[in-house]
Parts: sequence; C-alpha cells; structure tokens
Amino acid sequence: MPSFFNTWLPFIYLYGVGGVFFVAGLIITTKSKALDLSKKRHRFWFYVLIGGFFYFMIMHAIWVVAALYW
Amino acid sequence: MGQQVHNIGSSSDWVVMVIYFIFILLFGTYFSKYNKNTNDFFFGGRRFAWWIIAMSIVATGVSSHSFVKYSAKGFQYGLSSTMTYLNDWFFVPFFIFGWLPIIVYSRVRSIPEYFERRFNPTARFIATILQLLYLVGYVGIGFLTMGKAILPLLPESITFFGLHFSVTLMGTIVVVAAITGAYITFGGQTAVIFTDLVQGFMLLLAGFLVFSFGIYYVGGWDSFWNILPVDFKLPFAHFNEPPDFNFVGIFWQDGVAGSIGFLFMNMGLIMRFMATKSVDEGRKAATFNILFMLPLSAIVVGNAGWIGKAISLIPGSPISANADPDSIFVVVANLIALPGVFGFVIAALIAALMSTVSTLINAAAAVYVNDVERPLRKWLKRVQADNKAEEKSLLNTARISSVLFTILGVIIVIPFNTFPTVYEAHGFFHSTLTPPLVVAIFLGFLWKKFNPSAVIASFIGGVALMILGAYYPDPLISFFAQGTRMDPAHPFIYIGALYNTLVCVFVAIAVVLVTPSLYKIVGKIKDSENKKSIIYTLIALSSAIFLAVAVNLFSIWVLVILSLLMSFMVALTTMFYVKYDPDQNTIGLTIWDIAKAKEMFKGKKINDSVGKTIRIKWKLKDTDDETINFSVNDMKLMAAEKGDFVYLCDARKYLGGLKSFHSVYGEPHNEDGIVYISQDQFESALFSKGKILTADKEM
Repeated sequence: MPSFFNTWLPFIYLYGVGGVFFVAGLIITTKSKALDLSKKRHRFWFYVLIGGFFYFMIMHAIWVVAALYW
Repeated sequence: MGQQVHNIGSSSDWVVMVIYFIFILLFGTYFSKYNKNTNDFFFGGRRFAWWIIAMSIVATGVSSHSFVKYSAKGFQYGLSSTMTYLNDWFFVPFFIFGWLPIIVYSRVRSIPEYFERRFNPTARFIATILQLLYLVGYVGIGFLTMGKAILPLLPESITFFGLHFSVTLMGTIVVVAAITGAYITFGGQTAVIFTDLVQGFMLLLAGFLVFSFGIYYVGGWDSFWNILPVDFKLPFAHFNEPPDFNFVGIFWQDGVAGSIGFLFMNMGLIMRFMATKSVDEGRKAATFNILFMLPLSAIVVGNAGWIGKAISLIPGSPISANADPDSIFVVVANLIALPGVFGFVIAALIAALMSTVSTLINAAAAVYVNDVERPLRKWLKRVQADNKAEEKSLLNTARISSVLFTILGVIIVIPFNTFPTVYEAHGFFHSTLTPPLVVAIFLGFLWKKFNPSAVIASFIGGVALMILGAYYPDPLISFFAQGTRMDPAHPFIYIGALYNTLVCVFVAIAVVLVTPSLYKIVGKIKDSENKKSIIYTLIALSSAIFLAVAVNLFSIWVLVILSLLMSFMVALTTMFYVKYDPDQNTIGLTIWDIAKAKEMFKGKKINDSVGKTIRIKWKLKDTDDETINFSVNDMKLMAAEKGDFVYLCDARKYLGGLKSFHSVYGEPHNEDGIVYISQDQFESALFSKGKILTADKEM
C-alpha cells in the first residue's frame, strides 16, 4: 500500500497551498471590483470559479480512493 | 535512456500521413486571405466565438505538453502523469478578471508593450529579451518533441539519387521545421486558429482511438486496472521522490510557474484570447478549456504510456520494461492500432505539434514586430506616411522574422537534447525562464506601488541570484527543496522554480519597501556636483558584480551579498534616469481600475444598459468613415447610442465569427432591418452577399 506521502499529502498540499493562491485571487479581484458581484454576469462567473475549485478537488479525492480501494 | 527504435509503421501509414499534411497545409493557406494587416496576422482581427478559440487552444495546449513527454512519464510513473493538466485552476480568478481585461482594454499588442506603458522603455527592452527567449525556447522544445516522435518511423539511413544519408534527430528536426514554417509564414493567426480547430478534434480522436485500442489489447478495462500496480493508479506522484518526477517540485514548476507562465506570459496563448470577440468570450474559452478540455487532454496525451506499462507487465510482452520512454507513444500506437490508423494517429500528433510551434513562432514574430521593429522604425524615423504601405511592410517583416525564429528554434534543440527526456528539458526550461517575467507581470498588475526601479532590480538582481542558485544548488535551492533529493547531473529541475520565484519576489518587494529612502538618496545624488560620476560608478559597479556572479568569481555568500547590493544600485540608477508618475503610469493598467481601463478602451463613458441582439441585412455605403449605420428603431432595440461599440457578424453560428468585424454606431437612418457598412469593412469581414448578419452592442 502506498504511503501517505504518495496519496493524501500531495492532495492536501495541492489544495492547501493552491487554495491560498485561489482564495487570494478571489479576494483581490472582488476587493478591486474587477469581479463586481453587484453585476449578474459577474456573480455567474464567481460561482463558476468556486465550482471549478471543488470540481477538481472532488475529482482528485475520488481518484485517490479509487486507486487505493477499487 | 532506453534503446532508439527505427522503421516503425507501414507504407499505408505513410500515405495517410502525407495526405493529412497536404490537407492541413492547404487548409491553413486558404485562410491567408483574412490577413489584411498585422492586426489580422497576429490577433485574427479580434472576432472569434469562444468555442473556436477553446478548441484551437486544445491543439496548442495538448501538443506543447505533448503526447511524447506525458506518455513517457505515464510509462515510468503511471496516471500521475496527469498532474500537470489538473492544477491550472488556482490562478484563473487572476487571469479572467485581472490580466485578460487589462491586456484587451489597454490595447497592448504584446506583453513587453505593457511593460513600457506600466513602467518604462528599459523594462520593455528586458521583457522583450526574456519573452523572446521564452518563446524560442518553447519552439525548441516543440521541435525536439517532433523529432523524437518522427525518428522511430524512419529508417536508420536513406539513399537519395545515389547519395547515402544517416537519419539523425537533428536532420529530422530541420526537415520538420521547414514544413512548419510554411503555413504560419503565409497564413498568420487566422490560419493557425482554424488549422488548430481541426487539429484539436483530430487530436482528441487520435488519443481516444489509442486508449480504446489499448484497453481492448490488454483485455478490457478491468484487466487494465488490475494489471497496474496501486502506485501507478494514483493521481499524484510521491511527495518528494524521485528527483526526476516528484509532486512538490512539479507543483511549483508546473502548477505555479508553468501555469502562470502559460496563462499570463505565453504570447501564443494570450493572442488566442485576444482573438475572441470580447473579454467575456475570452473568459468562456479559458474556463471551458481548463475545466473540460484539459482533463480530456490529460487522458489523450498520457494514456499510451499507461497502456505501455500495462502491456509490459503481461508475461511475454512485446514491450520491454527498458523501452525508451520518449518513444513509447509511437511504439504503443504501432502495436495496438491497425495500419493506416497508426498513420492517422501519428499525423495528428505531429500536426498538433506543428500547431504549437507555429503558434509560438507567430507570437515571437508579433513580439519582434511590435517591440523591436516598430520602436526601431520610430527611432530611426523610417515610419512610412502611408498607413497601408507601412502595414504591408510590417507584414513582410513579420513573415521574415517567422522564418528566423524557426531557425533559432532548431538551434536551441541542441542544449535541450542533453536532458534524459523531453519532460525534464521542459521542466528545467520553465523553472529557469518563467520566474522573472511572471513575478514582474503579477506584481505589475496587482500592486500599484510596484515601480520601474523595483521591476528592473528584480529582473537583474533576480537573474543574478538565479545564476547563483544554478552554481550552488546546495545550499541555496536545497533550503527550499522540501525533502527533494538533488540529482548532481541536473540539480533540482523542478523545485528550482520555487527558489527562482522567491528570489525575484524578494528583490522586488525589498526595493519597493525602501523606495522612499532610495528617493532621498537619489535626491542627494542629483543635488551633488559629481552626480554623473556617482551614477557612472554605480553602473560600473553593478556591471562588475553581475559579471563576477556570471563567472562565479568569489565564494557563495560574498556573491549573494554582492547581488543584493547590486539590486539596490540598479534601483538607484533606474530612479535617477526614469521619470515615473505612480498615478499616470498605473491608470487602466492594474486590477484596481479595470473600469477605468474599459472607459479608456471605448474613449467615453460605458453604456451598460442591456439591449437585444438583432438580425439584420447589410448594404454598402458610399462614404469611407469607420462607423456603421442602423435605423433609429434598431438602435433602440439594441439599447445603443451613437458612439457605442458594436459587433457585426454573419448569423451562421458555425462560422464562429470568421466573417465579422467591430465598429462604432454612426448617425442612424430610417430603414429598419438594414445596416450600412463601408467597402473597407466589407473587405475586412468578407461577408457573403444576401446572408443575414447579427448585431450586438458591445459597450
């Protein structure tokens, strides 16, 4: 069985460190009004951005479980 | 490195390949008629729908992170070869709501031009050099990959008119480069976009054909899944082992430096987004590509390696465990596909690589024309008074420079070929060349306080510290290596990106923080009687220190301290010479005033009222003014006012905006359902007679 270094550590690192960059991006774009949540179209993009993050995170989590147990 | 194979494939495969290439060349050449000026040649006239760009990016993205190198890593390490395709989302907010609108609305023609507007001409000059090195390096990687993909198909030697030639990697690359140069030189960006569109589909088809045949070959999905060892099925590599493929190094090299580099400074890709009809279409193209096309592409490019590994584990396998990783794609495709199908798969692969390379050559030519030729002509006062003649002359320069960059790309293959696989060569290239520009772009559009002194100091001081990292990987890079072992032959290929990025960020931030003190020092220098002598001394000292670092003249810590000192001397010198207004130089060029950038793009207040898209017939008008004229009622439907921006497009959606153009609303008339356009606008859009158009108010 592969070790933690091969399975969940990369997952945590990817979405932890990558998540810091991602959240920083959301905060800066909304604070600067480049992503203006008062506009309907921008709200749509905001949801796409959040959804995209979890889409990749869930995909990777299922993949690790599948590799280990299926 | 495994054993090199030759003579793979049958005559029917070669017939398919030749037909495919002829088709692609003719297809690309057809679209050259859409190049009326350099704007069309480089940006495709900014007219396309998101789906055309999203598909055309597939061919560019897939082949630059190609079949050859990902199949190699898939064969060596399994499904974790997909890592680099699934780690690009983190910087998307910065891209689609920061960098993309800034480059579109600021109307810059290249990234170095942004540096001049945001900082000063010196920053543009250094950025041009770094950008051209980046693009030519990428072209070199593309040629190396193509050569490695084609070589297994060729015999060890050929006889031509009685002359005997050995078939070598470099010889193969030279021939391929000559063919690649052809359609980009004559076709331009529109040709690249449309050939890439076709090739995007072909690539996906070829990749999934190989996957399907492969799964069938090993006895079905269950058999494939159960043959592979568990660690080959995981989506990630081991955290920090081995040196040639580990998670943490690849995260920083590809997920951070590579992703930012690819999205933010790869002119080839950015020119695609700039070819979309609007910023929102660019956002759609980028997100669709990363969310859906990249995961599919990850399977397409890596699966031959996974299949190869599974086959190699079957007793009595025709594939050796020691096979050359860089040849595994071709070996597997030949083993599992029927004659002819194999030819199609290889043709799709090579044609896609040609797409990537031609996109990059086109981008390098754009940088050359916009950042070297245009400023040089202005400086030498050789700009022609006739705008059309000037554009024609620049278009010729673009074509000639395309040829020159093709030749440079071939030459740069030589150092890249010293790495064990293409993957490592590409990793080293990204780790080394992207950090200085990436840091400058990021801080430039995010941080208003980031000034010319800081950007030039970070370029020069950052590069000096990067050179020291190359001389002394231990302890400089190993401190950040997070347990990654150092391979003495190619030390810290991937995690080196973290060190290189950090040193550039450190120098940039340090200079910004001490900027008020530096201003005081510069003020005193300017007041001094010996101001020229002081500045010349600073320049001489900085040059001497950079030279000392380049030739590794002193011990490590002396050189580190000297590099930091040099960074501040460079900052002082820049501050002495450069006139910089923090308010004027940042208007519309940072994320903090995108709305202002949009207003500057339009030239007047933005009309945000929501109107309808209308269907309309077109007629030619006698005058040559740049506006187009709708009826009063049609303008009401579109919620448009005179002076607003409008996008006029052939209503056939499958054309994806090929027949379209942007304009401005002029004086309205009273003929509902009719728009009047000029002869020039007709020639630019190439509308078909009698065909209905759609009209959208843009802003």
